[in-house]
Amino acid sequence: MVETVTRKRIEILVDKPLAQVPIRAAADAGIAGYSLVPVQSGSGRHGNWRNDRISGAENKVLFLTIASEEKADALVDALAPKLDSHSLLLTVSDVQVVRGERF
Amino acid sequence: MDIVISTLTSPVILFFILGMLAAFARSDLAIPEAIAKGLSLYLMAAIGLKGGVAVSESGFTPDLALAAVAGLALSFLIPYFAYVLLTGFGKLDRVNAGAVSAHYGSVSVVTFVTASEIFTGQSMGPAGYMVAVLALMETPAIISGLMLARRGQKRDENGDGGGLIHEVLLNASVVLLMGSFFIGLIAGPTGFEPIAPLFEVPFTGVLCFFLLDMGLVAARRLVEARAMTVRLTTLGIVFPLINGTIGTVLGTMIGLDVGSAAALGVLAASASYIAVPAAMRMALPEADPGLYLSMSLGVTFPFNIIFGIPLFAALAQAIG
Repeated sequence: MVETVTRKRIEILVDKPLAQVPIRAAADAGIAGYSLVPVQSGSGRHGNWRNDRISGAENKVLFLTIASEEKADALVDALAPKLDSHSLLLTVSDVQVVRGERF
Repeated sequence: MDIVISTLTSPVILFFILGMLAAFARSDLAIPEAIAKGLSLYLMAAIGLKGGVAVSESGFTPDLALAAVAGLALSFLIPYFAYVLLTGFGKLDRVNAGAVSAHYGSVSVVTFVTASEIFTGQSMGPAGYMVAVLALMETPAIISGLMLARRGQKRDENGDGGGLIHEVLLNASVVLLMGSFFIGLIAGPTGFEPIAPLFEVPFTGVLCFFLLDMGLVAARRLVEARAMTVRLTTLGIVFPLINGTIGTVLGTMIGLDVGSAAALGVLAASASYIAVPAAMRMALPEADPGLYLSMSLGVTFPFNIIFGIPLFAALAQAIG
């Protein structure tokens, strides 16, 4: 049986033009790796939304990263003041990873 | 009156109306995204090329310089006028009013392309240099809007300033428009001749198809607009009427030909929905994109396409 360790998986739904906000905050928190996943449409407190292919202003992406608890906490602390102003949806969950030293 | 009737019965406008009606009726009609993107790139390249070729023939005239200065001034100043109405009559807060006002100072490429096509059909095609004026008018309004929104506020130290400048100066429409304008300028009529069949003959048909898509997009935006109020919808019609009248009168006063004066009016009346929304999302994340996109794309764009273009043409003819 391969040994796994617990790490934090952080997902942030962010408007595409603002994707640099979590990317920079993650870098400042010492998190080097991340993925941006395109999302098509959805619904939230402000109603339905979908990719706006004309302006791109409302297009959303999912910022996804895995980090140690310490780094994850630093990232969440950095982004917490911007959750409302930048319309970020941030979730943190525990995940099991095989190569713990990488995160 | 002739131009009003001929505009409203032209296939270009009728395809736009068809798109709007289909969206209002909740038809599943849709243009595939990649095709719509390709059509918009084609239209921008074609209008830039034709403008550049026209300037290579006419040379750099005083009219060109005057139109450029007038366009820059309109783009820079319109947001200040719009801001007053948006905060007063529209009851918007400072940040949202600043973001919306930037859209009204900037311009809509598609509105300009449609107006050029209609005016050319009426033998009053605007001068080629108006393409350069169009490109010049994209940016100053963004600076004005940001200044209005950030008055008395400390700048966000984490703001993506570099990304904003990149977006403003190197967005796809500015690069393609100005790039193809300079290609047309360098190539001249002789160099343009071999590629003219691609950029001239299918132009009107492609514009019809693209406006069908824009009609769908604009109407769906209007249907889904939640943040819009009656006051803001009213302003979405009042702004183009006032700005377009100022632009047309200014163009006539500085001695532009009828078509170019009307085109300056159309540019002043139009509101950006491509370059500015992305720039505002970056620079003013707390502003509501639903507001500025609904006003510029859902209200002002269709108003200009259906009513604004013939109105400013008629005004330019009347006073020119």
